Amino acid sequence: MIPSHQLTFVEEIALLALDDASGKRLPMPTLGFSYALAGAALCDLFHLGRIDTDPAALTVLSTAPTGDPILDEVLKVLAAAPAPEPVGSWLGVLAQRSAWLEAAADDRLVERAILRRQENKVLWVFGVRRYPTVDNHERIEVRTRLRALILGDDLPDPRDATLLSLLCACQLAAVIFRGPEYNARADRLTALAKMDLVGREVSRAIDALGKALLGASPLRL
Amino acid sequence: MEITVSNQNDVTVLALQGRLDGLASPQLEQRLDALLAGGARKVVLDCAALTYVSSAGLRVFLGGAKKLKSAGGRAAFAALTPAVHEVFELSGFLEVLAVHPTATAATASLT
Repeated sequence: MIPSHQLTFVEEIALLALDDASGKRLPMPTLGFSYALAGAALCDLFHLGRIDTDPAALTVLSTAPTGDPILDEVLKVLAAAPAPEPVGSWLGVLAQRSAWLEAAADDRLVERAILRRQENKVLWVFGVRRYPTVDNHERIEVRTRLRALILGDDLPDPRDATLLSLLCACQLAAVIFRGPEYNARADRLTALAKMDLVGREVSRAIDALGKALLGASPLRL
Repeated sequence: MEITVSNQNDVTVLALQGRLDGLASPQLEQRLDALLAGGARKVVLDCAALTYVSSAGLRVFLGGAKKLKSAGGRAAFAALTPAVHEVFELSGFLEVLAVHPTATAATASLT
């Protein structure tokens, strides 16, 4: 079970992907957020001991409910597969459900009183939803922890390694942790980003998608 | 997976044999936690007979090394088989963990 005070990776990614000031999603590559959320759900199930992974396949270890409706729904999808599939395949499947994952994670952050929902209209017609922060404690705490990890030489806690790997994969780390002090630690960040297999697979999927889109572009120089 | 524990001076050596997967990793995690609670601070994980390690196994390796370091101790990994070495390399563990060619070298690094 996840302690009630602890955010899931799905919630942490949803929270860290929001701009503090505007409450809008930070810039990410095409489908980057979708794959990051899908990866975050797999990482949650991994750290809860429900699944295991290796470069060849994702294996369901237990279908016991986690107590989290979002993760239990994802676990049901994984458990229904007739045979083990690689992590990359599951990311593709779950990324297609990312709108549901995103909405569920945002709802949870609103329930936790970390965010509030704000509905605006653009040109009095188009609906725009924003999530201004009510309680910034969680976001500051996790950023401070990850900052110390990147700038220091300590071994990462496995959960921090996973979160950083996911943030690097969807290129949010470059937006959140920027400046000369981080540039000087690029090698360290690269090493830390490799430490989680799901994070590596998210990164690979986003890179492949970017290359495919570039190849399909009608613009040629 | 089989775990054989021995002591050389003040270094605890865990010889791991078999597959360290999602089913076996809780056993290793519990053993490491018990050793730490019992005062062990210098631990060698001898992987000479470890044929496979999954993400769950890597999590226990990293978590164990982190807990030891936080308690003022150190972990060293020894004699990685080609399959385990490949996983360590892919996941960047070679860059953050102390890895030695033999258990003797790993033990010597902690004394």
